[in-house]
Amino acid sequence: MNEQQQALDFSTVIASTVHDMKNSLAMLMQAQSQWLARLPDTARQTPEQGVIDFEFAHLNGMLVQLLGLYKLGVNQMPLQPAYHELDDFIEAQLACHHEVLASRGIMASYEVDPLSPLGFFDRELIASVLANCINNAIRHARHAILITVSDAAGQLVLTINDDGDGYPAQMIEHQADYVQGINQSSGSTGLGLYFAGRIAALHQRNGVVGRTEINNGGPLGGGVFSLYLP
Amino acid sequence: MLSYHQKRFLIVDDFSDFRSSIRSMLRELGVKDVDTADSGEQALRMCSQKAYDFILQDFHLGDGKKNGQQVLEDLMEEKLISHEAVFVMVTAETSQAMVLSALEHEPDAYLTKPFNRSSLAQRLERLVQRKTLLKPILQALDRGKPMEVFNACIALCKQDIRYSPLCLRYRADALRDLNQTEALERLYDSIIADRPLPWAYVGLGKLLFKRGQVSQAKGLYEKALKTFPMMPALYDGMADVLVAEGDTKGAQQVLEEAIRLSPLAVRRQAMLGKLAMTNEDFDTASRAYRQAVSQGAQSRFKDAESNLGLAHALISKGSERGLDTRTRLEINTTLSAVAKDNPTDPGLQIRARLMKATSLLLNDAETADKLTEQALLRLDGMEQFMSAEAALLVAKQLQILGQAEAGTSMLKNCVEIYGDDPAVMKDIAKLTDDPAILNSGNAAADLNREGVRVYKTGNLQEARKIFRKALAMQPKNISIALNMAQSLLHGTDTSVASAELDECRMSLKMVGLMPETDARFPRYQKLKSKAFGA
Repeated sequence: MNEQQQALDFSTVIASTVHDMKNSLAMLMQAQSQWLARLPDTARQTPEQGVIDFEFAHLNGMLVQLLGLYKLGVNQMPLQPAYHELDDFIEAQLACHHEVLASRGIMASYEVDPLSPLGFFDRELIASVLANCINNAIRHARHAILITVSDAAGQLVLTINDDGDGYPAQMIEHQADYVQGINQSSGSTGLGLYFAGRIAALHQRNGVVGRTEINNGGPLGGGVFSLYLP
Repeated sequence: MLSYHQKRFLIVDDFSDFRSSIRSMLRELGVKDVDTADSGEQALRMCSQKAYDFILQDFHLGDGKKNGQQVLEDLMEEKLISHEAVFVMVTAETSQAMVLSALEHEPDAYLTKPFNRSSLAQRLERLVQRKTLLKPILQALDRGKPMEVFNACIALCKQDIRYSPLCLRYRADALRDLNQTEALERLYDSIIADRPLPWAYVGLGKLLFKRGQVSQAKGLYEKALKTFPMMPALYDGMADVLVAEGDTKGAQQVLEEAIRLSPLAVRRQAMLGKLAMTNEDFDTASRAYRQAVSQGAQSRFKDAESNLGLAHALISKGSERGLDTRTRLEINTTLSAVAKDNPTDPGLQIRARLMKATSLLLNDAETADKLTEQALLRLDGMEQFMSAEAALLVAKQLQILGQAEAGTSMLKNCVEIYGDDPAVMKDIAKLTDDPAILNSGNAAADLNREGVRVYKTGNLQEARKIFRKALAMQPKNISIALNMAQSLLHGTDTSVASAELDECRMSLKMVGLMPETDARFPRYQKLKSKAFGA
């Protein structure tokens, strides 16, 4: 067996372990929510519960991302684009984070341009990007998160705004490096950018390639993550 | 929030914890009527007795059980749910094998475990909104009226152009069902030019192939596979193209690729088995047929041909010293299932016995003889036509089993029924050198061609005369009989009795014995409904 084969085997081992972890986590989340449902209201709404919900979602998002990266690596990531109703799509993503948003007192809202109610993309993949972005925004937001959908020269633009401190200047300056996976000290946000960039780039139309962008400011004055889909 | 208190819900999951967890979520949403099932089989029974508005179906219901996709296919094919009902597939993970197998019947939504109440509520509410928007289309689908579906799509797009992409698939399927091939091609072309959708490529490829535009279909599939390399249905189409071009080795490779992507596909496995047999790759053939048999057990695509194929592949793989015990056991199991499941099908009874006899020839000649004898007895009384492929294998096995005479009569019969097809004649030539058999169909086939030529000139009387002469030589020939019937129906009033109508009905009656899998069966049915009234 040569070295390359060994490396491949190792990543497969990791991927199937992550797969198991994700299933375990799903069982944990399920059991916890059932257990919670049997408790009185006062015992349910505790700060600890907020931490548990947030970290569950964060763990889940990271595992989905890891599996996604593995599939991208072995070229197993299928693109299944279709038309989707955008308000439905965003509502569904926010609904997953309902408990966390409520426990942290964060107002999440969205605006969809009524002239373009449909988007064309791979629901599963874009949902995983959005889930990570929302999770990240929740971590940094003080009171509010805003998701907007607009149209820029025929491209669909999804932005996730928060009212936190924004991205570090160094990260915005070198965002291309993160997207290309060059920056080694990336951490979870950097990996998220890499993953989002790869998924955006899978979406192409007439030579235009999907991309991501991070900025500070926007309507809420904090971090702004934008996803451009042709 | 929507009111659910009068809606009927069905939860299908093999875990009771999960059923009760969803049930309590639904209760909190105001749902009163919730039924549960722990298997697909039970779900199908319940759906045949009660019209559910919502079905929450778990995908994986345990090994050896129907999976969620199979349940959905059964529900749709057997019309056990309305198109207006909401069907949500609940999955433990977003597995590509699952999503990719769902091109024909897609669930309304996928919901990944774990999900909270807000997610469930949001999903249901949205699906109800969409179904309300599409209501006229869905009701027309329930009535099975493609023209009404098409009109409903047009009306909806006029009412709100923004939603026209949601109608595309319904429009295309309606045009396909209406046989409006030109309009359908234009629609597919415009979709692909704007935003390539995998199903549009698949649909256009099928359309081109059906029309005989094989090289165009090939070019399209090549282009489509560059954009959607993970879409098994495109590989299926490509394999069809390669088979049509005579490249069975290439077709096998392409299908193996598709199976790597999506192994859960009974028909694809069976097709691979058949191709591998053609290519004499008996290992691949037995593996594919074995999969087709085991997956097919719970599916509506269960097909005795796969069992026979598996046995044939295993026999072909065997050495000159015969078969080992394990292989004989597998052959026995798979063939017994054919005989047991198809008690009233003489063709399958005969073929299963001859196949088993062939497998026992070296190890248990006595039983082989007994089985052959049984098969011969049934063959004598059999009226139905076997497919050319099945008939030729039977002839070959009769030869191997020392029944040369029966084999010859099988071949003669085959020439009579299928002799106008050069491909069949080529296969017959592999089994015999006897010119009396090989040439027995020539005169009739020549006449048939002549008849077609004359028919095209419009000389109806002369054409009928020629077909009549050909049919007298080969009364069981499917092509000639169909041509005879068609020429007789041409210009004949079928509402009053006439000699032409009687003769037409006679010719159709004979070829009515053809297998339903024959490519000409739809043409036969069309002629039959004209001649006998629908």
